[in-house]
Amino acid sequence: MSAALLFAVGGLTSVGIYLITARSLSQIILGFSLLGHATVLGLLVAGGAAGDAPIAGTAAVADMSNPLPQALALTAIVISFGLTLFLLALAVRQQHLTGDDQVEDDLEDQRIAQGQPAENLPEETTEEITQSIEGGIP
Amino acid sequence: MLWALFLAHVAAVPAAAAAGRTSMRAGLFTAAAAPAAAAAWAAAELAGGGRTNTAELVWVGGLDVAIRLRADSLALMMTLLVAGVGALVMVYAAGYFGRNAAGATRFPATMLAFSTSMLGLVWADSVWTLFIFWEMTSVTSFLLVGHKHADASVRMAARRALVITAGGGLVLLAGLIVLAESAGSSALTAMEPVSGPAAATAGVLILIGAATKSAQVPFHVWLPGAMAAPTPVSAYLHSAAMVKAGILLIAVVGPALRGVAAWKWLGIAFGVASVVWGAVGALRHRDAKLILAWGTVSQLGLMVTLLSVGTAKAVLAALALLFSHALFKAALFLVVGEVDVRTGTRDIGDLGGLHRSMPTAFAVALLAGGSMVGLPPLLGFVAKETAIEAVLALAGAERAVVAAGVIGGSVLTVAYTVRLLHGVFGPGPPTPVGANRPLMAAPAAILGAAGVVGYAALSGVNRIVVPAAAELSEKADAYSLIQWPGLKTAFVVSVLIVGVGGVAGALWASRGVGRLPAPVGASAADGIVDKTLGFSPRLTALVQHGSLPVYLAVMGTVAVLAAAALASDFAGGHLIWWDHPLQAMLAAAVVIAALAAAFVGSRLGAALALGSVGFGVTGLFLVHGAPDLALTQLLVETVVVVGFVLGLGHLARRFPPVTGSWRSVRIMVAAAGGLAVTAALAAAGTNPTGKPPTLDLVAEAVAEGGGKNVVNVILTDLRALDTLGEVVVLATVAIGILALARVRTRPQAQTQES
Amino acid sequence: MNPNQTPAIQLGIRVASPLAIVVGVYLLFAGHNFPGGGFAAGLVFGAVAILRTIAGLQRPKGTTALIACGVLMVTVVSFLPILWGDPLLDQRVVTFDLPLLGTIKTGTALVFDIGVSIIVVGLVSAIINGLSASQPTQGAGQPTQGAGQPTQGAPQ
Repeated sequence: MSAALLFAVGGLTSVGIYLITARSLSQIILGFSLLGHATVLGLLVAGGAAGDAPIAGTAAVADMSNPLPQALALTAIVISFGLTLFLLALAVRQQHLTGDDQVEDDLEDQRIAQGQPAENLPEETTEEITQSIEGGIP
Repeated sequence: MLWALFLAHVAAVPAAAAAGRTSMRAGLFTAAAAPAAAAAWAAAELAGGGRTNTAELVWVGGLDVAIRLRADSLALMMTLLVAGVGALVMVYAAGYFGRNAAGATRFPATMLAFSTSMLGLVWADSVWTLFIFWEMTSVTSFLLVGHKHADASVRMAARRALVITAGGGLVLLAGLIVLAESAGSSALTAMEPVSGPAAATAGVLILIGAATKSAQVPFHVWLPGAMAAPTPVSAYLHSAAMVKAGILLIAVVGPALRGVAAWKWLGIAFGVASVVWGAVGALRHRDAKLILAWGTVSQLGLMVTLLSVGTAKAVLAALALLFSHALFKAALFLVVGEVDVRTGTRDIGDLGGLHRSMPTAFAVALLAGGSMVGLPPLLGFVAKETAIEAVLALAGAERAVVAAGVIGGSVLTVAYTVRLLHGVFGPGPPTPVGANRPLMAAPAAILGAAGVVGYAALSGVNRIVVPAAAELSEKADAYSLIQWPGLKTAFVVSVLIVGVGGVAGALWASRGVGRLPAPVGASAADGIVDKTLGFSPRLTALVQHGSLPVYLAVMGTVAVLAAAALASDFAGGHLIWWDHPLQAMLAAAVVIAALAAAFVGSRLGAALALGSVGFGVTGLFLVHGAPDLALTQLLVETVVVVGFVLGLGHLARRFPPVTGSWRSVRIMVAAAGGLAVTAALAAAGTNPTGKPPTLDLVAEAVAEGGGKNVVNVILTDLRALDTLGEVVVLATVAIGILALARVRTRPQAQTQES
Repeated sequence: MNPNQTPAIQLGIRVASPLAIVVGVYLLFAGHNFPGGGFAAGLVFGAVAILRTIAGLQRPKGTTALIACGVLMVTVVSFLPILWGDPLLDQRVVTFDLPLLGTIKTGTALVFDIGVSIIVVGLVSAIINGLSASQPTQGAGQPTQGAGQPTQGAPQ
């Protein structure tokens, strides 16, 4: 297992995580792309050592690199490509709607966090209600 | 047949809601059909000898995740009660509510949904199936209790019931898991007897769960509160159905836990405390419905006591009580509901003299009350007689405790029954009554008469109850219920109970109704409910704060912790510095470019740095021997960079500046994440589970796929379905981008884009 | 995109386009035996579209139709085998000779690959149109030079 590749995977992951926790959507996209690279390289590292291209007839089979993670990685590249572009379109739209590409906190969640009650509780206190339930008589 | 009946119930729920659009009455009659059919089926099965029906639907076989239903003798008896009383109560409710009462689409459907979950609970043959239906009854009963939800006290009562029963449900789940693990099977029937600390833990947890559902002291506080429900709901849920769920559970798991001392003694403690405290509560209250509710607590305590004692005769007595209680308590609730509707009050201090103006109701109340007290010729007499015999047959401390509880509770039961009947129907200025309600009177009369019929046809009742008891206790079929025991000790005790209780009740009643009792325990319960409801928004605010970066950082941290566990079996022997020197240079270049993308201030610079990362990764692919990846990555990177350059044209030139402590948190999480992923990968390489399948794949690619490029053959042949999905994703992305752009341009001049 | 690129660049791109398309077609056919495939081919065609847009020669049109066409091809090839009882995504292999590429052993997988490349071209043109459309300074001056064939017509 190549330490150099492991270093690349770790470095890309670190920078990727740093970027996706940013507020700016374009930085999040950058981070997402880097994480995609890290994942693909991780698949390759986990699949075995480097070797010749896995194309029948061009090299001895024993010298070939493992084709299975490559097939998986190809799918990963394509999907992260699609996702990156879609996020980019979202960032552009955000820019046009709000004037920047900042990811703001969810307003509804903030309202809950500030403890504003969802409904207007009755004026009666719990003790009064308890008394009226226990008395039973409607 | 079980599936047919069950699915008929499920299908009838929306049908009842639809019929409810016409009128409450139509909805209720629609809803009553399915339970009536189930009750008729159960009666026919019992008449035909009660063979066991089973049905199952396996979802995940390997994990034992399945719905297993089983209708044996006990389940058939419960079906008869749950479905039969359910159908009668729904007819009664048609009389209780006016023709055009509010909530007509809601109430019948919810009632039927409850009935359905109850049926599932009765038929459940695996602990998981049982638990699911158990929770469903909690939720549907919450909706039913809160039917008049505009009233704050009703809402609080419903919440109280939900918090207590759902909390008990969680305890029950823990208990069921422990029980299933220690018994080695999740099947409820044929569960092997278990012992040891695990069994004791399971027993205690299950008992607590059952006690919350069956309103045992000190978890009983929700039941009187639940009287805020419409009376049909109380008659059904709080006499025949839901409160019996805990009893049923104790009965069913009883055979497996019978040898566990903790199970037995905690059960007896719950039971005896409830028998006595419930009866005392019934004596203190003046709302007729609350008297019945407290009486239910007491009666349920009697059943819990007898089941916990667990001798064959005690089990038989418990089931006989369960059967007769469902009949007489439902009848009494129905009568009280009728009195409430026709006079406008349930206060025994205001009521009186109704024996003349409501003779049918009076007759039913006498029959049902007599059954509750244990007078012949009524079914309740037989049940109580068997219970006393079973208690007297015990020995030692057990006999003393149980006998004191049962006999003392029975005396108090007689007293509160006398007080109730005296207060409602007894002498006094007759309360004015409204018009007759035949739809309310008829079901009550049927249930009241059932006590006499059951006594007269006791051999029929024996054919229902004795086999059910035999399923729970092997020797129970040596006994049977007897119409007239003769002058035995038990009979003498019974006579004394009725005599003493009757006198005490008459004296207590003549003293007047007194003031309303102070709520004991209820304030504490509501305090807990309040705290729970107050805690939930604070918890929500904590975990759902709405900040994406924080969510992502938390997820990253969790991933790091998960990876740290993996990294523990790391050994460095398999590591080499590089496969090729070029790899090391490219790796360094990639990481440096990534850092540049993160820390460069301008957006364009970051995009170009990202491109450099991509090209570096392309080089790594080439060195690794993956030309397909390299080619694809190269092309992808080109398009991504173009996309970035186009997209960034809309954005500000520079990133907003980042400062503050959040940035250091990000850096720490990021560093830890990178280390964790590296360590986990290195650990994964420590113990390879096999050789790379290169040889097989190459051979298969040439032979099967007819191609030499193994990677491509894998993608288009072996994983073709994945590739198809992937292509669809790309098409979706493309359409999404166009749609987003269109939204953006709408306010401006339309472009010429087709 | 600036429609006023220097004539030299425009000429270069005019010349490069057919060459790039040939490369793309090669990748399309080579995929089974050598690096390449529908996705790579689509990206090459897409790159041609990007270059021509940048040079101001033309703008991709009919993006939605292109995507729909690609998805249709891919789906039909995938599900047709079911009609004659074969499993989903089963392939028919045929062998034939072509003057330049030699003996070609291919099959329904080729149709699948062509569908894939068409979808990718659609995606690239969606990027061009979606991410760059309606820049305030360009609102009025949309390029309308539709002289050449649409680049996407290349794979048959």
